[in-house]
Amino acid sequence: MSEEVTQELEPVVVIDDDYAMRLSCSQILQKMGFRVEVFEDGARGLEGVARLKPALVVVDLKMPGISGLEVVARVHELDPEIIVVVITGFATIGTAVDAMKSGAYDFVPKPFSPDELRVIVNRGLERRRLRQDALRHEQERERLRRRFITFVSHQLRTPVVAVHQYLDVLRRLPEGPDTAGMRAEWLERCLTRTDEMQQLIRDWLTLAEVEGGGLTGERTPQDLGQVLGAAAERHRAYAAGEGVEVTRALPSEPLCVLADETALAVLFDNLIVNAIKYNRAGGRVAVTLEERDGEALVSVRDTGIGVPEEYRASIFDEFVRVKGESAKKTTGTGLGLPICKRIAGELGGVIELESELGTGSTFRVRLPLRAPVQTADTAGGDTREQ
Amino acid sequence: MSSDARRRILIVDDDDDFATAIKTFLELHGYEVHRAADSRAGVIMAQAVHPHLVLMDVIMEERTAGFFAVQNLRHTPGLEQVPVFVVSSVYAAAPDFRIKPEKAWLAHDDFFSKPVDLTALLKAIAGRIGGDGVGALAPNPGKTK
Repeated sequence: MSEEVTQELEPVVVIDDDYAMRLSCSQILQKMGFRVEVFEDGARGLEGVARLKPALVVVDLKMPGISGLEVVARVHELDPEIIVVVITGFATIGTAVDAMKSGAYDFVPKPFSPDELRVIVNRGLERRRLRQDALRHEQERERLRRRFITFVSHQLRTPVVAVHQYLDVLRRLPEGPDTAGMRAEWLERCLTRTDEMQQLIRDWLTLAEVEGGGLTGERTPQDLGQVLGAAAERHRAYAAGEGVEVTRALPSEPLCVLADETALAVLFDNLIVNAIKYNRAGGRVAVTLEERDGEALVSVRDTGIGVPEEYRASIFDEFVRVKGESAKKTTGTGLGLPICKRIAGELGGVIELESELGTGSTFRVRLPLRAPVQTADTAGGDTREQ
Repeated sequence: MSSDARRRILIVDDDDDFATAIKTFLELHGYEVHRAADSRAGVIMAQAVHPHLVLMDVIMEERTAGFFAVQNLRHTPGLEQVPVFVVSSVYAAAPDFRIKPEKAWLAHDDFFSKPVDLTALLKAIAGRIGGDGVGALAPNPGKTK
């Protein structure tokens, strides 16, 4: 039992040739909750450091054999993240400065009180923690970035590979009526796949633009009713071709948000096109707008295949596409909803999904409302006319 | 099980177009080709058709599903020895997901990066399971890349 506890404690190393000093340092550090190992010279101390991989080393500068200064350097050869505190007599304060130059964290002049050592040790370990946290975050960011690059390159390459493979087989195909149908079909597929790639590049650039603030930079008051009406109108023909009816329920009064016109168009185009695409023949898309709790609430509801539970948490992440028989016939880049989420976020809003498998999905966007413009002309009174 | 003397190949790949092109190419060279769209279906189909060789994509529904499918094949009675050629587009450019060309760490038999060099693929397959020579295609069209 006691052994288990000992193992959980963080090890620290004390290297000092003076027995009394080893004892007192050891007591102070043990009270702080460390597992303390003491060594009476530099050589043994360094062995101990290599074995224990401690967070902290307290070392006397003036020792026979390997000097404290050399111990500092050698400890950091083993691990530059170990915090080294040197103990020094007044006579060697110059050497203490040298030790700091060679990488020691701080020094404690003899004689010192337990508190003096504690303060320095705590500060040193706090710095180590901060540095390690920063390092971990940096590594995590780098890992995600690299993984993302891998994924994007794979997504971009897939359609190119398909087209390449078709063309390579096509040029080897024997001429003749047997293969004429196949040729025509494959050429169509090649065009479809190059379209897919174009769309992927377009979406990719849009996403980068939103991230860089380029799509949400110039904000003017926009009446969401008008924006949504125009967006629904743009996709009327596409919807009709898919056998889907688009209905709208928009308020007669303007509901304004402060936004870039293009950003709003991209946001709602994506949602409406998705609602048409992931629908069924004879299905409906309902676009509604209302004011709720001082916010504009936009809903785009479809009667389509719905989003399975396991995808709901990640559906707004890049390249997440619902797999399955019913989703197979649709193409998509997996970037549309991430774009929507970024735009909504940039505009100070949120986007949410409510979905039931087989029944349909509702995407809701909430955006902060903006009062109608009060310009110098109208500021004097309620003279604004519609 | 087929009593056909033709050599059977199973393609496991989630891209319809890629699979169609390769399947057609191999069929025109006299092979009997089956296709599964994901790794699970791939293992099931392998048990049903007992292919002489498997072409396996390594990035499908999950990033490494193909690797697990290879392992599953290796542990399926009757399929332990089936040659598996891994096919993937990740090899050439992926910074954190490099498949070592020496292939020592994965129990597969050969590796092809996408797009697949058809001439090399055909040669490797014929060298491994025989066949070819019955097809209607020129393995090497006049023009080189």
